[in-house]
Amino acid sequence: MLFNSLHFLVFFPLVVGLYYALPARWRAPLVLLASYYFYFSWRPEYTLLLAATTLLDYYSGLRMSRLRTQAQRRPWLYLSLASNLGTLFLFKYFNFFRDTANGLAEALHLPMAAPALALVLPVGVSFYTFQSVAYIVDVYKGKLEAERNLGRFALFVAFFPQLVAGPIERGSQMLPQLRQSHEFDYGGVASGLRLMAWGMFKKVVIADRLALLANPVFDHPRRFDSLALVLAVAAFTGQIYADFSGYTDLARGSARVLGYQLVLNFRQPYLATSVGDFWRRWHLSLSNWFRDYVYIPLGGSRRSPARNYANILIVFLLSGLWHGASWTFVVWGALHGLYLVAENWTAPIRTSLAKLTGLAARPRLHRVLASAATVALVAYAWIFFRANSLPDAFYISTHLFRGWGKLHPAQLQGLLAGLGRHFVAELLVAAGAVALLAVADYRAERGSVAAWLARWPAPLRWASYLGLLLATLYGGVFGSNQFIYFQF
Amino acid sequence: MTKLLLRVALLLGAVGLLGGLGIWLGLRYGYVDAFYARFAAQPAGSLVLGTSRAAQGIKPGVLAARLGGRYQGPWLNYAFTLAESPYGPGYLGSIQRKLAPGTRHGLFVLAVDPWSLSMPAAVLDKRPLVFPEAQSMVSQLRSVSQSPNLDYLAHYLHKPFYQLLLDTDPRHVVERLHPDGWLEIAIPPPTADTALLRRRTAEKLATYRPIAANSRLAAVRLLSLWQTITLLKQHGQVVLVRLPTGAAMAALEDDYQPGFDQLMGQAAAEQHVIYRSYLHSPYATNDGNHLTRDAAEQFSQRLATDITQLAAAPEGE
Repeated sequence: MLFNSLHFLVFFPLVVGLYYALPARWRAPLVLLASYYFYFSWRPEYTLLLAATTLLDYYSGLRMSRLRTQAQRRPWLYLSLASNLGTLFLFKYFNFFRDTANGLAEALHLPMAAPALALVLPVGVSFYTFQSVAYIVDVYKGKLEAERNLGRFALFVAFFPQLVAGPIERGSQMLPQLRQSHEFDYGGVASGLRLMAWGMFKKVVIADRLALLANPVFDHPRRFDSLALVLAVAAFTGQIYADFSGYTDLARGSARVLGYQLVLNFRQPYLATSVGDFWRRWHLSLSNWFRDYVYIPLGGSRRSPARNYANILIVFLLSGLWHGASWTFVVWGALHGLYLVAENWTAPIRTSLAKLTGLAARPRLHRVLASAATVALVAYAWIFFRANSLPDAFYISTHLFRGWGKLHPAQLQGLLAGLGRHFVAELLVAAGAVALLAVADYRAERGSVAAWLARWPAPLRWASYLGLLLATLYGGVFGSNQFIYFQF
Repeated sequence: MTKLLLRVALLLGAVGLLGGLGIWLGLRYGYVDAFYARFAAQPAGSLVLGTSRAAQGIKPGVLAARLGGRYQGPWLNYAFTLAESPYGPGYLGSIQRKLAPGTRHGLFVLAVDPWSLSMPAAVLDKRPLVFPEAQSMVSQLRSVSQSPNLDYLAHYLHKPFYQLLLDTDPRHVVERLHPDGWLEIAIPPPTADTALLRRRTAEKLATYRPIAANSRLAAVRLLSLWQTITLLKQHGQVVLVRLPTGAAMAALEDDYQPGFDQLMGQAAAEQHVIYRSYLHSPYATNDGNHLTRDAAEQFSQRLATDITQLAAAPEGE
């Protein structure tokens, strides 16, 4: 079930209506039931997989909580990790490593051909697996009390607003909320609905429209060069942000309607002034996960600079691989790792340069330039994230600035083909919607958008809600477009 | 809670009213796309079936005018594209849903060509029972005779609703799906501009050559065609036709499947239906593949004449 589907449009009001109509003690079981139905509607058989890993993690956590030392808990930790990471490996990475091994064997003329597994990737497996791993490690380290109520733990893993694409919640943040009773709160429900409307606008008006510009080029990059490639990369840069942050808004909004607070996942990432800053604003729940469960255990920045750089590279290679079982994602992760290493390494030089050029004395201009440079670097890396193959990615990345002297009308025609006959109107709608997103991000950077909206006169505020909903209805690109992060 | 419900209801009511009005106006006076009208039309008693060649090449209105007294209406061109409606279980299911209940004397023109009965060799070798179009709109859409068809609009309309209101003047629309399902491509015929026709033909051939190189006639598709004929025979008369196309495309087809006419002739004879190939008949095309709108009119007239004569002649001729 997609958030932007008719199915969800019926499902969600029904769940919310029942939720507040039922006595408080029945609400969590209802959400658990709804969550399993939500997952069941994707692929029924994988509900069993979700239930099985949930049971094992619950039992492992419970057993660990009865043991005093970490050494005693360790076997249960390993069992749970093996189950979670094994599931992830089997469904997501087996064929990737198998293809790589077969390719190597072929290159070395070795008579080896491992068979492929015909398995469909369970939706959301990367997200709920990481959430469970965080829980089990926290219990192992004694940072978190194991959850004793199976239903509550199952809801923690399967909570439908964030089950398939995060945010990746922590037990310490989510489990206490699941123990509380949530009464109807006008402000909370209203702000949840506003967030959902905004998320839907970002998804269907911005992301799915920009996809129409990006897809023809990324699907057949060799038909294009120069301007068309740059425009497609720019379109995808906007698309991925609107798509994933739109999904997150829908997830956080729908949770808030039910009285739950999910963690913040985005903080205006394209206003970042460095790649490090970008990662403190983009997909925060995943960045924090890697920081807490990979980077810090590896030693973080506490050891030598060389070791720190190695740790950064390891984290980003793993982050790339987490996004998808493909070398394109690995290169994307590696690029970000290299950006960060270079950023750390050149920090003193850049500071000196800023002083030398007078930029340090003009902080606003410095900030704008730094943001522009950061977005350019991030956009360049998105090429590898979006390209269908490494050769495609290398083609795009090496042809961005070739042939600017001779722009071919046929290429622009190909680029705009996805927008259809009314491409001028489409470009205007896209520009308007992106401008609205930019204004919203700019406001959010300066303070709460909700507080800013609350200061508007009521008629204007309600007119803006109406306008947003009508813009979504009239300007939305509908038709079963999945969220990008659902594939991970 | 009442306060919130009231406000949300008011807001959604306003959205419903303003949104619904706009969409209604768009559906009423605008243009949706190359498929929608077929799914908004009432169930049909007589159908034109096949892929884009039939969608653009056969005008049900002409057949109805000439043969309406002999066959049951309403008449509808229910042909789509090679990707959406090759012969297979998905298309067969959709035809069953579209057929007017109780039809006994319909006319069913089934356009056949090697492409709509082929499958990629890779699919046939590895997963011979998998139909690539199984997830397509034609296979998946359950409601095929609803106006407005919300199921279609919600899931398969790939343009925003505001664009419905931009296409209210048919004079500026290149592609126009008529209420009878005929897809008119309203571009000036390129026959006068031979360079344009050559370019379009070259592009079309460039698309089909790899298909020919990597595909084979599929027994499962032939079986589906057989099942489609068997089903439709219960509801009236079935005619198999191979539509005219450009000379280069016809040559490519002959090269790809030289025995196709013979195969169809045999199948038609076994099923006691009529098969007629017009492949090499000289009609103008827009792109070396699809008939121009004028040629579609001429061909539909000829088809109507031939059906009148053929239906009266002994079977298998």
